[in-house]
Amino acid sequence: MAEKFHTELKNLKTDTLEMARLGRFMLRTAVDALIRQDAELATSVVAQKEQIHEMEVRIEEHCYRLIALNQPMAKDMRVIACTLKVITASLRIGRYGKSIANTVADLSSKPHIANLMSIPHMADLVLDMVDDAIKAYETDTLRYIDDFSSRDDTIDALRHSIFREGITYMMEDPKNISRCTHYIMVARYLERCADHACKIAENVQYMETGERVEIH
Amino acid sequence: MSETCIISTTNLNLWYHEKHALQSVSMRIPKKKVTALIGPSGCGKSTLLRCFNRLNDLIDHVKISGEITLDNESINAASTDVVTLRKKVGMVFQKPNPFPKSIYENVAYGPRVHGIRDKAELDTIVEQSLRHAAIWDEVKERLNDSALGLSGGQQQRLCIARTLAVEPEVILMDEPCSALDPIATAKIENLIERLKEDYTVIIVTHNMQQAARVSDYTGFMYLGKLIECGKTGQIFEHPKEELTENYITGRFG
Repeated sequence: MAEKFHTELKNLKTDTLEMARLGRFMLRTAVDALIRQDAELATSVVAQKEQIHEMEVRIEEHCYRLIALNQPMAKDMRVIACTLKVITASLRIGRYGKSIANTVADLSSKPHIANLMSIPHMADLVLDMVDDAIKAYETDTLRYIDDFSSRDDTIDALRHSIFREGITYMMEDPKNISRCTHYIMVARYLERCADHACKIAENVQYMETGERVEIH
Repeated sequence: MSETCIISTTNLNLWYHEKHALQSVSMRIPKKKVTALIGPSGCGKSTLLRCFNRLNDLIDHVKISGEITLDNESINAASTDVVTLRKKVGMVFQKPNPFPKSIYENVAYGPRVHGIRDKAELDTIVEQSLRHAAIWDEVKERLNDSALGLSGGQQQRLCIARTLAVEPEVILMDEPCSALDPIATAKIENLIERLKEDYTVIIVTHNMQQAARVSDYTGFMYLGKLIECGKTGQIFEHPKEELTENYITGRFG
């Protein structure tokens, strides 16, 4: 019976990785659509919202069923606990992708102000963090996430810098207010995605060691 | 473990003939707590349990070294009175084993052996013991009926009442629920929870969920060694030893 359970646990991880990669893909695609001002590409992200939501419900149910039928303990229990957090974080990352995609239509009529400021660079760093968090979960390897605290600090600093830069352009010309507000919101969404990558990292740490850590 | 310790073993070794069944076991059993011993078959958990009231004395060719103390007094010392020890450290076995006597006589037997003859006093002990064992309401109308007519779960609670009647300090339970259905098991588990208010309980179980449900501390044994002992929450959430991890997640055993 333990063998069957461990096979199911592997399948659970495979499904979770698929969902985490979909969340990451939605975010990547939304940022690309924003950079290229491609409203059609942005629409495709919005359409994926239902799919990721369905995956979350299905995996969550699978977790509860595994708990009810197998009463898992130790690492097995921690894998399931971690998985429940990973799917929540992945859903949020996907949803922030959708929120960024929603801004593309409003931002596609004129060229971007200051070439989108630091948003493309910030997005690359956030997506790297999401990638590494997923890899750590997939491979049970903590080295991918051991520098997350300093990486998160960099993301926070970039969000603040985009905020200040946006305010400057708004003060220069009130016609920039609407566009710069969108940029500031996008930076905020990206920062939140980095926070969710940190949440995944914290839970992978728990999954691996049983110790609770907080990444600031 | 910061709690007061009632039983302690230091470098306890036990051999059956050539078989080294317990190897340098050092552990502390906290008072008025439930301690579970888990591990695969043949790991020595029942042997360890039987050391606590010297039931292994009844087996030929057993050799013991190391120290076991109860309330800081050596259990294996020549001066230890085994009858008194077994009064202090009672035992409930895997299969319910009531005497072929009435329900009343099963419970009154122990106190009688220890010199209580007064009928009123015996009546009080029998009622209190049956109440503590959560079986009084089910048997109070038929105390003179044969104990063998009770269900398996009732027989096991009667055996617990029989143990309680001689006012032990420690109750050893060797797989007390393995012959019982889930409802009878739940009653025994609820009873164990109540018993720890007054007694120290040490339970050997194959059922890890049961160990997790009923115990405060858990010791994991493997091939005669105590691999890890700690608070039950820690053992089942994040054990320190890989062997423990592999056992409780069903990777062996």
